[in-house]
Amino acid sequence: MHGLEYLFMQAANGLVIGCLYALMALGLTLIFSVLKVINFAHGEFYMIGGYMSYFLVTVIGGVNPFVGVIFGMVVLLVLGSTFDYLFLRPMHRGDVDRPDEYAILVTFGLSFFLQNLVLAVAGPFPHRTPSFMEGGVRVGTFMISADRLIAAGLALVLMFALLMFIKLSWTGMAMRAVSQDRDAASVTGINPLRMANFTFALGAALAGASGALIAPIFSVVPDVGVLPSLRSFIIVVLGGMGSIKGAILGGIIIGLVESLGAAFVPDISRALAYRSLYGLMIFVLVLLFRPRGLFGEAQ
Amino acid sequence: MKHIQIRKYILFGGGILIGALIPLVVTSSYWLHVFAMAYFYGLLAATWSFLDGYAGQFSFGNIALLLIAGYTSALLAKFTGLPFFLNLIIGVIASTLIGLIIGLLCLRFKGAYLALFTIAFAEGFRIIINTEHQITRGPAGLHADGFFETTSQVPYYYLIFIILVISIFIMYRILKSRWGLFFMAIREDDEVASALGVNIVRYKVIAFVVTSAFCGVAGVFYTHFNQMLTPNFGEIATMGLVIGMAIIGGVENLIAATIGGILLEFGLESLRELGAWRMVAFGAILMIVVRFARNGLIAPLYRKFIGEEV
Repeated sequence: MHGLEYLFMQAANGLVIGCLYALMALGLTLIFSVLKVINFAHGEFYMIGGYMSYFLVTVIGGVNPFVGVIFGMVVLLVLGSTFDYLFLRPMHRGDVDRPDEYAILVTFGLSFFLQNLVLAVAGPFPHRTPSFMEGGVRVGTFMISADRLIAAGLALVLMFALLMFIKLSWTGMAMRAVSQDRDAASVTGINPLRMANFTFALGAALAGASGALIAPIFSVVPDVGVLPSLRSFIIVVLGGMGSIKGAILGGIIIGLVESLGAAFVPDISRALAYRSLYGLMIFVLVLLFRPRGLFGEAQ
Repeated sequence: MKHIQIRKYILFGGGILIGALIPLVVTSSYWLHVFAMAYFYGLLAATWSFLDGYAGQFSFGNIALLLIAGYTSALLAKFTGLPFFLNLIIGVIASTLIGLIIGLLCLRFKGAYLALFTIAFAEGFRIIINTEHQITRGPAGLHADGFFETTSQVPYYYLIFIILVISIFIMYRILKSRWGLFFMAIREDDEVASALGVNIVRYKVIAFVVTSAFCGVAGVFYTHFNQMLTPNFGEIATMGLVIGMAIIGGVENLIAATIGGILLEFGLESLRELGAWRMVAFGAILMIVVRFARNGLIAPLYRKFIGEEV
């Protein structure tokens, strides 16, 4: 095997998968920046996105896989908004003791609930959404599947659209205002509760989009979201909590580290297993030595 | 004051008496096993209540600490000729030491950062156990010897029952001492506590170490009770179960959290035929309790009966 070519291939794979990681982490960091909540159900939003796409495209059928992705996002917009309204609003209002702990508990409770609900309804067996497109792009002796390229491309498009939305639209500006200073924002006529609700729904939809985009590449099972959610925590801490460019760059860094790191372990099964360990090591080091991450503000 | 003491003697004495008599009434070894697991989860819920409910440190690491003690003990038995009892003790020491290290590393973290750090630690540990299967036998599970030669569940029942009673007694005494007050002061506001002269570094670490020691005790029991240890047990879902039990019982009340653990595990085992739907209901109840009854469901009953917070 050509060593250099193999490394190049792993790097390309890392970049592609990193875009999808970044999309999911973007949702997490967005929620944190506006709501000051770390969403422990983010992996389950990702999982639901995958299942919804599978449900529409395969179970109901006759639908293009791209529509499945949109459907997943819409379902998560509704789910996220409902959850924020029912469970997080009392916290935004300041009616809750020890809000940090409340937020962990209630989002973690949601994650436990959703994972088991899907297990009870859909069973433990893996499901896979049909491909966006067959075939792939050949580079030398290696091939990147079209599905991966399309998923990464769509993730990039979504991220770009989101950045433009946050930068240019009135709602995006209002979100940034609330994230900087809730009270000052509400003085200028922005409703922070509505912004929080919208942001949580949007963040959930981003996780759902990334789950739905990955569904044709990896199968979905009820606990498929556990590792991606951990990975999103890693990315967001690495990039800096609440930082958007941090989440995008962090996603790509972690994608590359996992792919290239795997290339350095000779034993294949061990290489796959230890892939996520590299991220965890980065995570621990960042937490200990630079808790605000690459682009975060000092606490 | 006097009445409170009497009511406590009635509650604790009654509980111990009933617990001690159960094997005389329940002879089915299946149900004795269920009781033993219920006490085991009661102990775990208590360790979580101790750390989060009193010391205000939200950790996802308790099950990983438990597994560290269990794997240490089982691996020592497999690879060395040390006496059985020494394996158990080294297991508990191992989890306590790791707990000390995590406690020291996490001192500076606030809010959700400790939760994130411990989740990373727990998953990392699980991945290593899964992968290094030449040593740990990975997902296939590591065999461990039982405590007793007999296949009867009665000795195991009494063993975990005694472990539970002693552990709860020690944790209860700690929480009733000055340490408990310091823990709660730090939980409410660590800056104020520090200004009032509480050594917050010391007591945060102490809380973590005590919890880790009891997780280790639970771990060596679990290992040599089930006689099989798998990394699957260290999945976040197990931790979710323990956290849910403590919360539904009442996390700021050690006794209520313990009772919550016992009752819920018992309930989950009894409703086995419902399959995954039990956990769906558990998750829903957890969310509703967090939202509408933050003190849990059993803690208010305790307060009503005893006339005192724990």
